[in-house]
Amino acid sequence: MAWLVKLLRSKLAVWIAIVLPGLYPAWPIWRQNPTVLADPLKYLLHHYGFVACILLAVVLSFTPLRVLFPRSPLALALNRHRRLVGVSAFFYALIHLTCQILHEDGWPTFFTDIRKPFLLVGLLTFIILLVLAVTSFNFMVRWLGGRRWKRLHRLAYLAAALAAYHQAAARKLFPVQVLWIFVPLAALELARVIKERAVRASGT
Amino acid sequence: MRIRIPKDWELPESTVTPESAYRLRDRRSFLKTLGAGAAGALLLRSRAVAAMGGLPAMADPDYPAGSLKVTPYELATSYNNFYEFGTDKGDPVVNANQGWKPEPWTVEIGGLAGNPGKWDVEDLIRKMGGLEERVYRHRCVEAWSMVIPWDGFPLRKLVDFAQPKPEAKYVRMNSFRHVVGDQDAGFGGPYLEGLRLDEARNELAFIATGIYGKPIPNQNGAPLRLVTPWKYGFKGIKSIVRIEFTTEEPVNTWQQLASNEYGFYANVNPNVDHPRWSQASERVIGGGIFSGRQATLMFNGYEKQVAALYRGMDLRTFY
Repeated sequence: MAWLVKLLRSKLAVWIAIVLPGLYPAWPIWRQNPTVLADPLKYLLHHYGFVACILLAVVLSFTPLRVLFPRSPLALALNRHRRLVGVSAFFYALIHLTCQILHEDGWPTFFTDIRKPFLLVGLLTFIILLVLAVTSFNFMVRWLGGRRWKRLHRLAYLAAALAAYHQAAARKLFPVQVLWIFVPLAALELARVIKERAVRASGT
Repeated sequence: MRIRIPKDWELPESTVTPESAYRLRDRRSFLKTLGAGAAGALLLRSRAVAAMGGLPAMADPDYPAGSLKVTPYELATSYNNFYEFGTDKGDPVVNANQGWKPEPWTVEIGGLAGNPGKWDVEDLIRKMGGLEERVYRHRCVEAWSMVIPWDGFPLRKLVDFAQPKPEAKYVRMNSFRHVVGDQDAGFGGPYLEGLRLDEARNELAFIATGIYGKPIPNQNGAPLRLVTPWKYGFKGIKSIVRIEFTTEEPVNTWQQLASNEYGFYANVNPNVDHPRWSQASERVIGGGIFSGRQATLMFNGYEKQVAALYRGMDLRTFY
């Protein structure tokens, strides 16, 4: 267990875990996987959107884990990396959006298509992540003040809900991986809220 | 001297298909070039003959391959929507080739047919009197496109063979019901599609038993599938087991699943968007990352042949 805590505390390990999914597409392209080569841009588009969703769900699970297991060194280790993981979710969303702009072959199609709820919700999610990333610097936290900063960053929950809808609407049939990503997160959040209420009720 | 009058659905000679990308026109030379040893070639030959009903596909001189850039074979056979074998594009090429054998295969003709019955697919193909090759554009409702050389026969021949009764207005087709273990691997039933009878008799409507001069691979809908190039790809039902003539409009599978997004007609139409994306343009499969999009054509470029079928209809209502 100690080694795991050490690993999870390490910035380098987290950096590697964050960068590797970004490099992953090189593998099927190098292997000349024909399914990927049929439309490599669409593959990249889906891949980076998928990674962004996972990282968003992962970073949002840190706080509930800490609340639920306040004495777990694992939960504390993870909470050291909230900013790093959160900002990385934004960067993957940025790559995903860049792929989408390329996929739409420029602005005219992009702006006609963006009116569709499915794509509009995606853009809205991105804008939230952008605001959160921009306000992630220490001086921004100071400038906003802790309470306001915290309130602003609650938008991350909205971003997760929007991302879940956006990801679900991306395919013709409901994709099961959306449940894998967001149902555990929702369960964690629910457990956290219940526990916080209980603590507050007994505390006062 | 023979004067060839090109059919109006032939693709224009504006660009030339690179020979390297597409040259295996006749099956015999394909089998020879395989060169994987006599035994391998023999094995392949027998399978090929079985799947093509023992008939070689003739590239009809009246219907040359044309000029659109044919999608590389490897891509057309590994980027498929065949939900019975998985929902990812790469699933069918793997899952449809793990023990699923579409032979022997029986096709049943029923409903309001004057000549109902069950036929072995090879006998049925032989009765259609020879295979021909046609190169068609293929436009998916997901806004991507391919160009495929199909081998097969016009659907009209099959309709004539079935002798639909005068009151029949529609043809309804269904695929096999794919069960893995005791679980339904499809949509809780077989995939279902249909056409109006006059659509089915249109000269473009085609039943494919091969692609690129080879027997049709499992993931592309072996042993026989529908090809309606002026409609979105999902109309092209794969691995047909039953053909029925009806008075009522069939409710096709995608319409059952999401009737606000997919209708009965599903004609390619750049002016009527999918609720979640535009249909005005499409990405060409095999184009790479920076290939951009090309404009989608009305009825996928087959307006001349099919527009009359829909005269007076509001294509926004009948999507």
